[in-house]
Amino acid sequence: MATVGITAMVPPELVYGCGQVPVDLNNIAPTSTAVPRGKLCAWTATWRDALLSGRLKVDRLTVVAGGDCHNALADGQRVAMSGIPTHYFFYPFDGDVGYMEDQLRKLVQFLGGVVDQGIIARIATIKALAIELDAARVRGEVPGSVAFNHMIALCDLGGDPDRFEASIRSAVKGQGEASSKARVALVGVPPIYPDFHEVAEGFGLQVVFDELPWEFARCGGRTLGSMAASYATYTFARPLEHRLELLDRELRARRVDGVIHYTQYACHHMLEDDTLRSRLGQPILTVQGDLPRRCPEQEKLRLEAFAELLTGGRAR
Amino acid sequence: MIGLDLGSTRAKMVRVADDAVVARKEVQSPRWRELLEGLDPGEPVATTGYFRKQVPGARSITELTAARWGVAALAPAAQVIIDVGGQDTKVQDLRTNRFVLNDKCSAGTGAFLELVASYFGVPVEELGRLHAEAEAPAEINSTCAVFAMSEMVSQLVGGRSRADVVAGMHRAFARRIAELVPSSGRVVLIGGGARNSGLRAELERVLGAEVEVPKHPEYVNALGAVKYASAASPTE
Repeated sequence: MATVGITAMVPPELVYGCGQVPVDLNNIAPTSTAVPRGKLCAWTATWRDALLSGRLKVDRLTVVAGGDCHNALADGQRVAMSGIPTHYFFYPFDGDVGYMEDQLRKLVQFLGGVVDQGIIARIATIKALAIELDAARVRGEVPGSVAFNHMIALCDLGGDPDRFEASIRSAVKGQGEASSKARVALVGVPPIYPDFHEVAEGFGLQVVFDELPWEFARCGGRTLGSMAASYATYTFARPLEHRLELLDRELRARRVDGVIHYTQYACHHMLEDDTLRSRLGQPILTVQGDLPRRCPEQEKLRLEAFAELLTGGRAR
Repeated sequence: MIGLDLGSTRAKMVRVADDAVVARKEVQSPRWRELLEGLDPGEPVATTGYFRKQVPGARSITELTAARWGVAALAPAAQVIIDVGGQDTKVQDLRTNRFVLNDKCSAGTGAFLELVASYFGVPVEELGRLHAEAEAPAEINSTCAVFAMSEMVSQLVGGRSRADVVAGMHRAFARRIAELVPSSGRVVLIGGGARNSGLRAELERVLGAEVEVPKHPEYVNALGAVKYASAASPTE
């Protein structure tokens, strides 16, 4: 089957439904050792360079642009100019469902039309399993790292829905209890450090919410209309107030002790840090990553200090 | 109890008995084991700093937590802590529990002060004295340590005195740190950099506020480690 490179959330059920295999290009970044040239954000520059150099091959590309990542829009155009057929996928800033449905229709058109309705329903059931896994991690039955590793892969289901389903079913059954001193939410873009969750867990920080991967778990139904109604609420592309409402609700429901705001160098979401700090009403640790690598010592110091802060190291 | 602040550059020891500091000692960090020579090996030890996990059996905490506990003991009215260490500068707002670290760039760290002192051929402790002799600080604009050094060289070539250039460097350094500091609050300056009177003066000027410096600012974190460990294990 043909492969479609995607950048963050493009409805995978539609890509599979069109008889093609999505490949979330961002997933190559955390373990990449290449140093991208002329970069702003290392997430987008890594897949851009990998595609331009031929180290990574896809048959076509769909770039999530409007309302989310403008670096992807610019880097995607450079890839398009190299000759890879490229489509730009826009989320509605105002949440307009009609606009969203039109975007889904254009995506289907780019991919050549839906040929397999069955896989669309199947992926909805797999995503429902991910929601179960997320609930299990909130109850402390599954380590945050296990939940994160599965939920971040919901964008493309690892390119193999059968294997992914088996893995997520195994994870839901439980892989040992999460041990923690404090419950934290990880908001913002995902960390570019592949061991971030394990390092946090090592300091007793149990990640009970991963904002963006949680967004990936949306079950959008089986028609373009119902999918549009779901995907149009993607908070990362919406006004910040919309996102704050979601965060407020989830942080309360998950009874978090603190928030880690991960930001990426040269990402516009960094500009939202002060607002999150003033509005979320939780102790917040801001971490800024740049190039992919194992979690650097400086970040470990921050995580350890944050764990101490949340567990009684306040001195007064 | 023994408190060790095993920092990236300097290692500091305090010994606390009956809630009072009865001994202090400081060495270069690679020689930190010398700090324990002659002490009762059965005495409990609390550690902080980069090398904090090197001491078997010690209670270990990060420098950020140690600073909070040390400042609570020595400057209880402080609301903002600026800790100028060897490899990083840490700023904590005690009102909001927010902390930020300048560690991706050396321009606001003790390492930069060491570099400047080395260039001028003076001990780092002399930078404050040179600063006091300045007539008008030279303009140093760069926030990058390497480029700031280039600017300092250019100012010397242009005829400015060593004192004016050092004072200009302190001003640029203070501006760099001030970017991390909240706009209001009672500020306490700790860490080895706090011994530099020129840096303190420029911080006060840039922040427009008085900056408190405890009597032994480089030992605050070692004391904080003891205070934290004592509170956590009061029977020790």
